[in-house]
Amino acid sequence: MSGASPRPRVVVAMSGGVDSSTAAGLLCEQGFDVIGVTLKLYDASGTAASIGGRCCSPRDIDDARATAARLGFPHYVLDEVDAFRSAVIDDFVDAHRVGRTPNPCVRCNERIKFGPLLRFARAVGAEALATGHYARLEQTADGPVLRRGVDPDKDQAYFLFGLRPTWLAQLRFPIGGFDKDEVRAHARRLGLPNADKPDSVQICFIPDGDHRGFVEARGGAGRPGVVLDERGEVLGEHTGTHLFTIGQRKGVPARDGVRRFVVSVDAETGVVRTGPREAIARTRFEVEDVRWIVPVPAAPARLSVQIRHHAPARAATVAADGDRLAVTLDDSVEGVAPGQAAVFFDGDRVIGGGWIADAGDAPMVDVARLRVARADASSAP
Amino acid sequence: MAQAMGEVWGNPSSVHAVGRAARHAIEQARHEVAALVGGDVEEIVFTSGGTEGDNLAIRGLAIAARGNRVGAKARVLSSPLEHPAVRAALAELAREGFVIDWVAPDPEGRITPEAVEAAVRPETVLVTLAWANHELGTLYDLAALSRAAKRHGALFHSDAVQAAGRVPIDVTAAGVDALTLTAHKLYGPKGVGAVWVRRGLFAHPLVAGGHQERERRGGTENLLGIVGFGAACRLARAELAAGASSARVASLRDQLEARLLAIPGARRHGGGARVPGTSNVAFAGADGQLVAIGLDLEGICVSNGAACTSGSIEPSPVLLALGLPPAAAREAVRFSLGRDTTSADVDEVADAVARVVERVRGAG
Repeated sequence: MSGASPRPRVVVAMSGGVDSSTAAGLLCEQGFDVIGVTLKLYDASGTAASIGGRCCSPRDIDDARATAARLGFPHYVLDEVDAFRSAVIDDFVDAHRVGRTPNPCVRCNERIKFGPLLRFARAVGAEALATGHYARLEQTADGPVLRRGVDPDKDQAYFLFGLRPTWLAQLRFPIGGFDKDEVRAHARRLGLPNADKPDSVQICFIPDGDHRGFVEARGGAGRPGVVLDERGEVLGEHTGTHLFTIGQRKGVPARDGVRRFVVSVDAETGVVRTGPREAIARTRFEVEDVRWIVPVPAAPARLSVQIRHHAPARAATVAADGDRLAVTLDDSVEGVAPGQAAVFFDGDRVIGGGWIADAGDAPMVDVARLRVARADASSAP
Repeated sequence: MAQAMGEVWGNPSSVHAVGRAARHAIEQARHEVAALVGGDVEEIVFTSGGTEGDNLAIRGLAIAARGNRVGAKARVLSSPLEHPAVRAALAELAREGFVIDWVAPDPEGRITPEAVEAAVRPETVLVTLAWANHELGTLYDLAALSRAAKRHGALFHSDAVQAAGRVPIDVTAAGVDALTLTAHKLYGPKGVGAVWVRRGLFAHPLVAGGHQERERRGGTENLLGIVGFGAACRLARAELAAGASSARVASLRDQLEARLLAIPGARRHGGGARVPGTSNVAFAGADGQLVAIGLDLEGICVSNGAACTSGSIEPSPVLLALGLPPAAAREAVRFSLGRDTTSADVDEVADAVARVVERVRGAG
């Protein structure tokens, strides 16, 4: 055995889906000593939801175990049910009750997944932790460089802004350089049992997709109240503020042919204010609880900012405002929702991010004048 | 078992020759099980293992003993140190209207006859206390406990899963009325066990089915499992009679424990008499599950508690009952030694534990 160095050991976080399974398979192929681990995040045993899931359900744990058995590496399950419930599920429900739009995936990444998984990796003597995220991470002399995944439809860089730089140094994202089709092709080539398992779009802890029922069953229902238009006139009534999020069109009663969108949600009074498209356009908002992956840029900085998943990043100027950041977009954007993550990019490189703060200032467009202008225009010959 | 697979494959209840051969194999196994515990063949009922056995004995006897009684509710006495299968059976009895009383162990896990006597009531129809504890290995003086339990005429059942094959068992000397055993704790196959119930007592069946096991447990018998169980009992009885194996295993266990307790921050759980091969220890600041995983990666298999409850973050109810705080209970690691363990194994394991504990502690 002289001269043979042991294979480097890496822990792979496995959700039971094809992405993380393929990441594990590729690392095995590259000669790593792989150890698989799946987090048990919620206890769906005994319910219909335990039959199938999106991530970390009993079925998913089994898919991860089967992949590990197929590829020949050890697989363990870590129970984080209690921590997940208080840090992610309770946060999600509370946000609905107070009229904020939660982002459970980002919360999970920053509070649940990576901390315990990195500790597990250290405890088993692994040099790194790998996941199936669509993102690219390069360890450079100047520190870790986190970039978007190459597949624009699957890119998950938005969810990873909360990772501490010390964590990034120990992470690997093996599939970020592939698009989804290539990942599935690798999975089939490796003979993985879940190569054709469909992606799910549900929130992982609401596998049946009944978002509303879930929130209401846990005390997250907001007050019922009225829906007002841009002049403050009543459009209708609603049964709970938790049913509305900024920028939403669904559920807003129609009147005089104008499409209206949710401008603000007041959990205390139950008032949901709406307005035409122009009313939800903003060019300025504030971001709090900011963390940076790179050295804090000198302000004011020119960056692009992404305010929801599946949306492009937009050019902006970012400046400090007390302990918040003031973001001024070059062009207006619709649906800036307090409680959502705002992630800053320099090209395709993730710079940092934070949480969109409650709207302090009024919408940039004076909707009353806008309505008058439109009426004038429509009466023109 | 391999032989049985090839030659004795008939249904033991059938009239034909192949069935009769199977019937004979089962009855030979039954003889071995009875001999291991000092009982009669008519008193042995084969089951699918310890869990079913505990349920059959505890619920079956309690329900039959309660009968049509009126007045004060019937009571069952047990301890918080029992195996999850026993606790679950007791929970079922509670749902069916029984009152469950608990006798408290001392911090070392010992249960005294005085404590049992103080806890038994006139309405107590059944007392159930394990012969040896599944996590700590603690051994109990069944004869003294059963005497105390029977002052008011209660029946006495003991979960002997952890004791059978490891220490001599004589149901008459121990004064018990029912016993649970399982094959896989004496090197037999998994998925098969037995209940010994004293002649003349009736345990209400759990499984409604055919006439097998003299109407006490319906369903076609696990023929291969029973054959394996019988062979395991025969081997265990010979070993116990020869006497050397228990002393050897106990000595190795003591050696291992001495080395483990020399690791800074180590402690042992459970004191007093124990079965020869069990050691339950913990290393302060090192999560028990991470230690078990680290040892697994070195090819060493240990446990954090009952296999039935692993994978769950719940700390062991046994350790909580001893007064350990939950965080300390999660540090427990159970080592089991046996027939094939060698002195070299003990050294290798002790070295590995020291390495793994240090790494786990350093992970933060």
